[in-house]
Amino acid sequence: MDIKSDLKKISGENILTSQEELIPYVRDASPFHGEPPLAVAIPENVTELSRIVKYCYEHDILMVSRGGGSSLTGSSVPLGEGIVISLAKFDKILETKIEDRYVVAESGVRLDALNEHLSNFDHFYPPDPASSRICTVGGTISTNAGGLRGAMYGVTKDWVLGMEVVLPNGEIVQFGSKTLKRSAGYDFTSLMIGSEGTIGIITKAILKIWPKPEKTGRILSYYEKIESGGKALAGLKAKGINPLIAEFMDRISLESMRVAKGIGYPERTNYMLMIDIASTAESLERQMNDAAEILKEFNPISLKLTTDKREMSEMYEARKGLYSTLLSQRKSASEYLILGDVVVPASELPAALNEIERAIKKHGIFVSIFGHIGDGNIHANIFSDPDDVENMRRVDNFQMELGRIALSHGGSVSAEHGVGIEKKELLKEEFTMRNSPGTLSLMKAVKLAIDPKNLMNRGKIFD
Amino acid sequence: MGYNLIYGARGRVDLGNYILKELLKNGKLSLRFKDSFYSCLSCNACLQVCPAGVNAGKVSELSRRLIADYDSFTTENEQKTAKMIVNVTMKYMNPLGVREKCANWSRDIAFDSKSKSLFYTGNMFQLMPYSISLGKMKKKIGKKISDRISEFISNHPSFIKIVGMSADRDLSDRMREELRNIVRLLKDSGISFSYLGEDEPYPGTFLYDLGYEKEFSEYANRVYSLFKSKGIEELIVLDPHTYDILSSKYPKYVKNFDLQVVYYLDLLDISKFNRTNVKTTIHEPCLLVRGSKENNSPVEILSKLSDLELPNRNGKNTNCCGGPDELLYGEIAERVAEERFTQLERVKAQKIVTACPVCFANLNKKSNVVELPDFLTTISGEK
Repeated sequence: MDIKSDLKKISGENILTSQEELIPYVRDASPFHGEPPLAVAIPENVTELSRIVKYCYEHDILMVSRGGGSSLTGSSVPLGEGIVISLAKFDKILETKIEDRYVVAESGVRLDALNEHLSNFDHFYPPDPASSRICTVGGTISTNAGGLRGAMYGVTKDWVLGMEVVLPNGEIVQFGSKTLKRSAGYDFTSLMIGSEGTIGIITKAILKIWPKPEKTGRILSYYEKIESGGKALAGLKAKGINPLIAEFMDRISLESMRVAKGIGYPERTNYMLMIDIASTAESLERQMNDAAEILKEFNPISLKLTTDKREMSEMYEARKGLYSTLLSQRKSASEYLILGDVVVPASELPAALNEIERAIKKHGIFVSIFGHIGDGNIHANIFSDPDDVENMRRVDNFQMELGRIALSHGGSVSAEHGVGIEKKELLKEEFTMRNSPGTLSLMKAVKLAIDPKNLMNRGKIFD
Repeated sequence: MGYNLIYGARGRVDLGNYILKELLKNGKLSLRFKDSFYSCLSCNACLQVCPAGVNAGKVSELSRRLIADYDSFTTENEQKTAKMIVNVTMKYMNPLGVREKCANWSRDIAFDSKSKSLFYTGNMFQLMPYSISLGKMKKKIGKKISDRISEFISNHPSFIKIVGMSADRDLSDRMREELRNIVRLLKDSGISFSYLGEDEPYPGTFLYDLGYEKEFSEYANRVYSLFKSKGIEELIVLDPHTYDILSSKYPKYVKNFDLQVVYYLDLLDISKFNRTNVKTTIHEPCLLVRGSKENNSPVEILSKLSDLELPNRNGKNTNCCGGPDELLYGEIAERVAEERFTQLERVKAQKIVTACPVCFANLNKKSNVVELPDFLTTISGEK
């Protein structure tokens, strides 16, 4: 059996086999390196994709699907001898129905491209991971990605109505529909969300869309203690103000933004809150003033209000680019950043953060913390040096403790990055601590029911 | 092509990393990466979208140097055109051996031969008609024959003179007129300058872009010496590519580089122009918006003088025109230009303005596409 030539018979020029061409597919945005695949398939359409998958299934060849390659947990890194299937050519927006508030997009469409298209209709697709310029519809569904706007709009699972999927045996199936309501048996759409390419390859999706907010304004408030920020946000919610965005950043994050983007902050600041309010043009000012009054009650060092689009855009982009600006804080070129991603109920966030700060000190590592305070999502960004064995041991221990802290506050070990390779042990820990090992067994049973040969993205989520 | 990761920023960074590791380990390159790095448009758009802030453009630039240094071209993959350009440039101080012809546009124009300020075209406007024509020819005769011709010329540079017959005539006329427009605009602003005519050298941009650092260094010093021998103190440059190579690369390769490099737009007296109600949009040159230039930008000028509406992708997020790939990867250049032109057309402006001869040559798809000097001349009442 000559796999490469067989695949070329199916897909011709869309099969890459030279060593040079395979190198970039060994990695994604995580620190994990996989093994060079036998080939990379970049099919043109679902029929071609289905034939490739069917061939792999019949010949027991491992398959890893790949969208934008922006996974932070190694979801799209190929493990074992198999092929990578790139959805790069599934990049078309097929249907836009404003009156029914949905869009049908192929899975390789990048989120920013989708929103650029929707902005022509004054609508948008709310999930906005920081990697929205490169991440894709399929990839974000596969990891149930979130983002900055989660405080008001939730995450990907709240915006997917249905999808087309190629199953591990090559069969093409349709899940969900174009309607908001549907009560017709098992909800396989939900099953696919967060499945990280382990039970099928998403080829297109029906996504809910929403009118763009008429006007938005921003309040930046600076605090010495995170408790004040947490209480301030709770105060807003208690008064019925639901922010569009509610982000927090620690001093290390703020300092890296100052160095990279020239965005300053008051001297005594340890944490900053970034609160965006969306409203009508007529009531925005009143709502911002109301919110500012509440925030003032919690002793901020200072408060800044703006509706200037350019200023807001600069800060928004700086926040989205925080991962890259943090790289400037590395102590050596061999260091890289592990992006921790846990979640707790929003009200538990200040207490959880205090415990995390203590854990950082205990493990003696350098960590920057920012995240989505509106939905309790904490990103602990760990500066790690693979050349330093002792440092990596401490980093691993801290990661485990970080997960346990989140679980002890009723949260989860993964908020929006998925499990991939990185969090397999943490996922076990989550179900152990919740006294529910059966959940993991059930996940494995579902996987084997749909993919009995365990060919799709083997070694991800669990072994 | 663009769906294959080796033609994208991420892939190039991964390959660059691989090259470094292989060189450190084995001291030579076993794999062939040339197409990946030589097809990079060097537009630095990737820097604006990379969530990790990696400068993939710089990775391509350094990798091209390593590939050239280690002569890591395969027989079948070798870009004969690149080598041809290097050899011809070194011999004629012009990448296509048409140095004398590049002065044709200036007939009948009076320059101030005593001025120490030099009107320096860098041959860019004049070379575009040849470049476009060569691209069309390559497409017609196919890669195989084109490579053989390039290989032959590379070994016998004198035969390059044959391309003198293949300049695109319409574009040649437009470019000639643009240069004359710039002269008029500068003179109207009270600026006087000299011009080297048939002695004017090409600045060597291709040598640098193709990774031939040693040759570029030698060449840049030759060009500098030529300027100094003519008593030049200031260079008035007319396009983003020449501006970039002279202002940011020459000082690194020419010891004590002491020539003032001035962009012609900075010398124009905008207050002398009449504002028009014409709706315009602009394709901003990558090297101006993402480069080091801080000047009277084309956007500032157009917003003062016309009803300017920017395309969706503008400023630092502008897309490339595809031009840098025209000679070596015509197919990529064509597709990038099509995509950009579609974006510009969506604005539904009366005039689509470009501000670089390379951009103009690649986006000149309809009669409403004009170069900035042409537009300025029109509204200044000269036409």
